Amino acid sequence: MAYKKPVLVLVGALLLVAVGWWGWNRFRPYAFHGTVLQSTEPAPDFTLMSADGPVSLRDFRGKVVMLYFGYTFCPDVCPTTLFEVQRAMELLGDDADQVQFIMVSVDPARDTPERLKEYVQYFDPRFIGVTGSEDEIAEVATQYGIYYQKHEGTVATGYLVDHTASITVVDKKGYVKLIFPYGTPAEDMAADLKYLISH
Amino acid sequence: MKRFIRLLALMSAVVVALAACQKAAGPQIQVEDAWGRPSPKVATAGAFYMTLRNTGNEDDALIGASSDACGTVELHESFKTAEGAMGMRPVEGGKIVIPAGQTVELKMGGLHIMCIDKKVDFTPGTKVKLVLHFEKSGDMPIEVEIRQPK
Ligand SMILES: [Cu+2]
Repeated sequence: MAYKKPVLVLVGALLLVAVGWWGWNRFRPYAFHGTVLQSTEPAPDFTLMSADGPVSLRDFRGKVVMLYFGYTFCPDVCPTTLFEVQRAMELLGDDADQVQFIMVSVDPARDTPERLKEYVQYFDPRFIGVTGSEDEIAEVATQYGIYYQKHEGTVATGYLVDHTASITVVDKKGYVKLIFPYGTPAEDMAADLKYLISH
Repeated sequence: MKRFIRLLALMSAVVVALAACQKAAGPQIQVEDAWGRPSPKVATAGAFYMTLRNTGNEDDALIGASSDACGTVELHESFKTAEGAMGMRPVEGGKIVIPAGQTVELKMGGLHIMCIDKKVDFTPGTKVKLVLHFEKSGDMPIEVEIRQPK
């Protein structure tokens, strides 16, 4: 009979570990891959022009919105990002319908709504591209903390635009929730978006 | 006899070493995995990426490129600005140095060969003919495969 006590203690300890492990996994907070922002105010609304008419942020309340500022002449950084977002949409499967990607042009002089549409839809037909007047774009960019600056290029390129290349994520309630820095892999974006869709 | 064989072996080793030296004199450029991403017609510019390997014993530099598929070809790099934004500019000094024995990667978000005013559709599977101009190795025609990033 003397041997039973240690066995019981061992079984008890193992049980405790198992329950603890289960509880930790079940209730621990989700760790976002993107940078989390605690917004006290809803994301600033805006209305800009797409090839299919005006687009406002509030149109997408109830969806997760990804905002990206870029331009169609950008051959490296922008398509790299749009391709990653397209992959994230693929990874999300049916859930991708709960996500709206919007590209705002930082080059309104050269990017017409039609050009933007053709550009973004090359990556995913659900993507939207919007533009506006120089002033309208400047206002939206400032509200979202987006830096962009034209600088001289070569004769062939014309001017180039330096721009913040991160993606701003607005949650279903309309609050800025996350920033995906440039280079965030599709897998990380998809995981965060999936969480935001279901919570 | 044994001594003779040893001498012979030593001599042949020297000959082989000399031949190797001869071959490696100057820069030796190898281009690997040249590719560009597919892009819509409205994207007037495209970027080409590749690995440039210099197996020689002398530095070389990529000083330009040309292609019938592009109005103009320039050597560019994407970089992070002081403000934390992403920018793009022609490479410093107008060339990409490939030091002896080293490898330089032209890759997304970094160095790239920029095809401005695209003349052909960059659809997956397209092969774009490009001539690389090196400072010492001269012209090197290559083919760039249009495909999705791996
Ligand atoms: Cu470039």
